[in-house]
Amino acid sequence: MNKIKNFINHADLRKFRFWLQLFFFVFFIYGGYLAIDLGRELPIFACGYNHEIAGTCYFMPLQHQLARPWETLFSVASIGVLTSFFVFLLWFIVFNKAWCGYACPMGTLQDWITSLRKFFGITYSTYTQPQYESLKKIKYIFLIIVIVFPLLLGLGILDGEWRGAFCDMCPGRIITPMFVGDFSQWSIDFSTKTAIFLSSFGIVFTALFFVGSFIKKRFFCFFCPMSAMHYIFSDVALLRLKKDGDKCTKCGDCYNVCDMQIKDIADDVKSTNILRDDCILCLKCVAACPEDDALHLDLVNYPIFKSTKGGFAKRMEIDRWEKKDD
Amino acid sequence: MINKTRKHKLESPKQKHNRHKATEAIMILDKMKHDFKEPPKAMKYFYDLFERVHCKNEPLHSDKVKVGTMCIQVPSEIIYALDAVPLRLCNGFYTNDEIGSDFLPSKACPLVKATIGEFVSNNFSDKPDLIVSPTTCDQKAKSGAIIEDLGFSVYDMEFPRTKESHESREYWRRSVRKFTKDLSADLGKKITKKRLKKSVMQVGYAQHLYHKLNVLRKNIKSPILGIDMFLVTNAFFFDKIDKWIEAVDVLIKECEQRVEDEYDCAHKRSPRIVYTGSPPIFPNLKIPLLIEQADAIIVADETCSSNRMFNDMVSVDEWFVNDMIDGIADRYLKGCTCPIFTKNEDRKRRIIDLVKEYKADGVVYQAFAGCQVYEMEQRSVLEAMEKEGIPIIYLESDYSPSHLGQLTTRIEAFVESLKNRKRKAK
Ligand code: SF4
Ligand code: SF4
Repeated sequence: MNKIKNFINHADLRKFRFWLQLFFFVFFIYGGYLAIDLGRELPIFACGYNHEIAGTCYFMPLQHQLARPWETLFSVASIGVLTSFFVFLLWFIVFNKAWCGYACPMGTLQDWITSLRKFFGITYSTYTQPQYESLKKIKYIFLIIVIVFPLLLGLGILDGEWRGAFCDMCPGRIITPMFVGDFSQWSIDFSTKTAIFLSSFGIVFTALFFVGSFIKKRFFCFFCPMSAMHYIFSDVALLRLKKDGDKCTKCGDCYNVCDMQIKDIADDVKSTNILRDDCILCLKCVAACPEDDALHLDLVNYPIFKSTKGGFAKRMEIDRWEKKDD
Repeated sequence: MINKTRKHKLESPKQKHNRHKATEAIMILDKMKHDFKEPPKAMKYFYDLFERVHCKNEPLHSDKVKVGTMCIQVPSEIIYALDAVPLRLCNGFYTNDEIGSDFLPSKACPLVKATIGEFVSNNFSDKPDLIVSPTTCDQKAKSGAIIEDLGFSVYDMEFPRTKESHESREYWRRSVRKFTKDLSADLGKKITKKRLKKSVMQVGYAQHLYHKLNVLRKNIKSPILGIDMFLVTNAFFFDKIDKWIEAVDVLIKECEQRVEDEYDCAHKRSPRIVYTGSPPIFPNLKIPLLIEQADAIIVADETCSSNRMFNDMVSVDEWFVNDMIDGIADRYLKGCTCPIFTKNEDRKRRIIDLVKEYKADGVVYQAFAGCQVYEMEQRSVLEAMEKEGIPIIYLESDYSPSHLGQLTTRIEAFVESLKNRKRKAK
């Protein structure tokens, strides 16, 4: 047992993640060819506009369901809305935000763009603290668009052209189909003014997606309403990111590697649950922490991956030293 | 002694200084070698090293540019990457303390006085070509100017005195970037990705070895005395890094064997001590020596001449020069528990954690008379320990070899009380 634990704690997270991400990317984007269908309640941006998707992003059905007239929405006829919500919750609760760090095709794509940047030898950029504080609110605005706009539609306050407004704005709609050879989403819908606005927003956002994630690690995740949605339920999830503040030296090693620039991960020594709204549960911080047991990933209350001195040394390759003359 | 002087007729000030230093060094080394159960054989390297450098004035780095550092905050990774060697100049000689006294207020810290004393005597076995002085405590920060007046070239490196804020992180990162640029220009060497990575890895490996050795002290039968550990870490101030690495590697193997054999370098009932406060720097290892002579054993420490020098590691996400430099900068600021910072929550947490992790029975808090920041933090640390039910003693000392009587009595009484406590707990 100890051997297994040791093996996991010393694991090369980078490699593990790379292969898992690759697997999920192929699985979701091309799963349809194998007739795989995980339903329409997935907590990731596996976009249904890609016809070969192996399961669909929950936001697509959600927006449609919530846009029903209020009498229908709040009647027994809409029991389906509740069931799909529970299915969504079920998916989410097991893996928590690890969906973002390991399974979301849009997340994986950003990581690949990061690798491309690294290949060119270009350093990444970061936000300053004030920028960070204000920008991080944007994802909640998007979440309002996802949830409140359809409700207003149902009330008759908004027009039908606002149906699925977020999907129209989302880069996932434009990007994911591209991987199965469908570029038709790269277009502006000129039918109405709103449509022009929403679809051009989508195009611009997509362009930003590529440019942004080339410059800034996980650029898009920072604005992702799914991430905001996750956070609402993350406290009840089974997979948990925990911290033992007594063991933490506040060295900031974890913060240094965090793609999402989460300061609390290093500076907060009081909370035991250290998952923050921007977190993508990539576990890079756990892998980069040099203190035994300071950070750990728990399944309910059982730690399955812990920070260790030995694991840190191995991953940083400082557990050995060969004299090399240059 | 008299005979010796006669034979040499006239002893130059330098010779006299050397003789005084050698006497101090030999005295402590002898005690370490002979007053205890047999030290690990691998300690011989370190005993010899200190003898070579401090008694025989043997230079170790004649072929390299030497960058003297006034505090642990100067990033050694960067100095190594520029093909120079860092030499930590914090000094522990009483002889130097006396020389330095003329240049500083009478109530100044003996460590600072001794460091200045060494410059005044200008009697280095490895003379630094450039001195980097980070603006840490007042006395250190201001001694930069005194040293400059003595004709040395000094680089002031700005260091923040709060570390919680994001601004301080940014400020220090900028300071380290500037230092890198300036030093690189000064030495006419370019910093490259490859060399910086190599030095990060090498210093990282040294840290890794330190930790590997250090955790062996968690064993109830500790394989190595605290005073020997201090000597090992002190050697890192000036030794050739690869030589140090080799020697520690051997020492670890021997200590691991000792753990396997359940060899106890102290005794069954020796209380286990966490040492904190002003740094013990060779040959001023007298408090650790007194503690261990009183049949206690130091199993961990929270001082800048030992644990703090090695504890926090550099982590890098992408191995680019800028990224590495930022990572290096953070290592020297964020985890640092130096009392010069406004708050000392981190230091208290660290000490408590060490007590728990190393199953210590008590804490010795030692401050140099004149080391204001350590003196000031004493109260809050004592309070925090009391709250946790951890016995602690506060001692004030200086570099002078006299007045040991009172310190000895207090330490012995403390050790005795810890023994009683242990007995009762059983
Ligand atoms: S890396 Fe570990 S010890 Fe360092 S700040 Fe993060 S949690 Fe704390
Ligand atoms: S806090 Fe840790 S798990 Fe979350 S995004 Fe940052 S590095 Fe990844």
